[in-house]
Amino acid sequence: MKLGRFSLFGLLAAVFLLTTLVVSAQDVVTIEWWTVNSEEFDEQVQRDLVEQFNAEHPDIQVNMTLLPASGFDERMTTTLGAGQGAPDVAFFWINNWLPQALDIEPYLEADPDLGPENYFENFWNTRAVWNDTVVGLPLGVGANFVIYNKDVFDAAGVEYPTADWTTEDYNALASQLADEETRTWGGDRPRGPYRAIWYNYGAKVYSDDSTTVDGYLNSPESVASYTWLWDLVNSGATPTPADLEILGTEGTGPIDLFIAGRLAMATLNQGHMLNLIDEGINFGIVPEPAAPGSELRHANAWSLTASIWKGTEHPQEAYEWLSYWAGPEGQQFLMENGNLIPSMPDVLATYENADTEYAQAFFEVLELPQVAQWDNAHPCKGSVMSAVSDAWDLVNLGEIERDEVQATLDSLVPVGQAALDECLTRLGG
Amino acid sequence: MRLSKDLGEISAAQYEARRKSQRANTWITVRRLMGYSSAYILMTAIALVFMIPLLWMFSTSLKTRADIFAWPPSWLPDVPMWENYVAAFTSYPLARFMLNSTILVVLNTIGELVSVPLIAYGFARLRFPFKKVLFLLMLSTMMIPGQIKLIPLYSMYSRLGLIDTYVPLFLPSFFGNPFFIFLMVQYIRTIPRDLDEAARIDGAGTWTILYRIILPLCKPALTVMIVFTFLWVWNDFLQPLIYLNDFNSYPISVGLAFFQGRYSVEWNMFMAATLVSILPVLVLYFFAQKHLIGGISALGLKG
Repeated sequence: MKLGRFSLFGLLAAVFLLTTLVVSAQDVVTIEWWTVNSEEFDEQVQRDLVEQFNAEHPDIQVNMTLLPASGFDERMTTTLGAGQGAPDVAFFWINNWLPQALDIEPYLEADPDLGPENYFENFWNTRAVWNDTVVGLPLGVGANFVIYNKDVFDAAGVEYPTADWTTEDYNALASQLADEETRTWGGDRPRGPYRAIWYNYGAKVYSDDSTTVDGYLNSPESVASYTWLWDLVNSGATPTPADLEILGTEGTGPIDLFIAGRLAMATLNQGHMLNLIDEGINFGIVPEPAAPGSELRHANAWSLTASIWKGTEHPQEAYEWLSYWAGPEGQQFLMENGNLIPSMPDVLATYENADTEYAQAFFEVLELPQVAQWDNAHPCKGSVMSAVSDAWDLVNLGEIERDEVQATLDSLVPVGQAALDECLTRLGG
Repeated sequence: MRLSKDLGEISAAQYEARRKSQRANTWITVRRLMGYSSAYILMTAIALVFMIPLLWMFSTSLKTRADIFAWPPSWLPDVPMWENYVAAFTSYPLARFMLNSTILVVLNTIGELVSVPLIAYGFARLRFPFKKVLFLLMLSTMMIPGQIKLIPLYSMYSRLGLIDTYVPLFLPSFFGNPFFIFLMVQYIRTIPRDLDEAARIDGAGTWTILYRIILPLCKPALTVMIVFTFLWVWNDFLQPLIYLNDFNSYPISVGLAFFQGRYSVEWNMFMAATLVSILPVLVLYFFAQKHLIGGISALGLKG
């Protein structure tokens, strides 16, 4: 009898415990979050951020999956392609993924603490808004600029470049600094046409209204840009494409050559800058050079689009995490505990290294008009550039003479126009 | 005429012939030695050329970042940075990653050993309808690039709730591997059928013939299969990347990728970690090379 009463009590206790567990398990929502480690936010900093969020939000638990940066794209493409298994929240840094990002505008409108006004306008427009929808929040900022090695300049007795320099200055400095004996190059070459320097020349691959290639690809501005590249390539002061392929770092820029002191100037970014600080390299920063006689300047700048997957079962909770991670709390945390340079002016105002020379120079670059503004509004740029890549290859490999640049571009106009027309048709005009 | 007793009871002509023969033997020995020496010198030189990447990897693992791309390049830095190895192992749980790879290698090897001989024996020895068509169908699956199958397979495993488990990474091996099946079929076909028939007369069934007669004779082919499975699974990056979420369950192939950041690669630590990670492969090859080379020759795989 005693045993029976004891068993009944035990059974009731077990039922109560199970019910409590089930109820609490139902109450807690788990959000899957995929990320990578980076110079700006390493694994531990991100885990700490998750721990802080989870502690502050007992009803939401974020499960962080750390993927290697070199495999993130494959993983995302596979899961988004399969339409299942994608994370609730992740970086959507490839434009092809954006159709699968949730429009967060309704959530933002309901959020009294967060809105477009909290972010740098340039980055909001180029990274958060796509196809008239808000597809995510811009996390951190980055940009290309020219970093120069002060020690190499000092050893060669050459004056440092200044922010108002031109492409002619760049080539002249590169030639002065190159030293065949020590296998030192003066400066690297751009990694593709129609980036900042081409825009600084006023060159565009086709018209603003996306109808015409003739008069743009082969415009005097385009010819001048390619001719500048021709001069640089033939000066011998820049590594060959083969050198850059072998000695560059996985396509992210020749940071290792720069650290080794074998490249006096290189177009790198804020992530590379952090590497240089770690390595104790004595460096300076200037924006990419303007065209001679022009004030026009652009920056190849970006932010990481942090988004919610359209297929999430918990959009509200996913937004809670997204707005924390890419909002002021998260960006402040990643800036203070990691190396993130935030995309929010109010947070950036508290950046402890803001007074350093390199930070000031970087901030100036961030204020320049962005290459992405035109690029985002012209989705056929990639197709056209791919079709006319012969111009880049021929100049870059030194296969044509200087006076053949114009003819080469002229000859590619029909190919470019066909690619533009095909792209417009594909995109429905 | 007789020569002295020391030379034995031989004629001058015999003596001269023996001297000539000895000289000829000495010359042959010298020529052989020269031939062997030249061959060894040549092979050592070629081996050194092949070892350069490995030596460069070792050299890089002991350098600072600034020294890696310095000019002129140096094979050994003035101060070897042995601490790069410590740093590599403290940055990420490489030992754990290697253990995970070992688990995957073992599971896949078991899977291949169970399934491949069974299927291959069927194709090589048994008679059944549509055998040729099925064999061709199986071979045709080799022509489909892995990337094309990735999304459907992911979708399937996802529906089965097997994402973030090792199951998608070893389950297919229990259903055979077309490449190994093809090899085994070819190999089994070279084994005389008389052996099967003799065993059958002695009362052996199909299973007994397979496991007691055929398989012991397939050791070279099985060695090739084991070594190749080891290499492929150990080096496979894409599949573990796609199917696993838990950081602590990553194999070494994925773990090494963490040394590449978004903007740079920590070459020295990456090389240190890679060097350690290829040691099991080198050890396996060292122990299996005799069988492996024999197996590759027997299977007609060498180029």
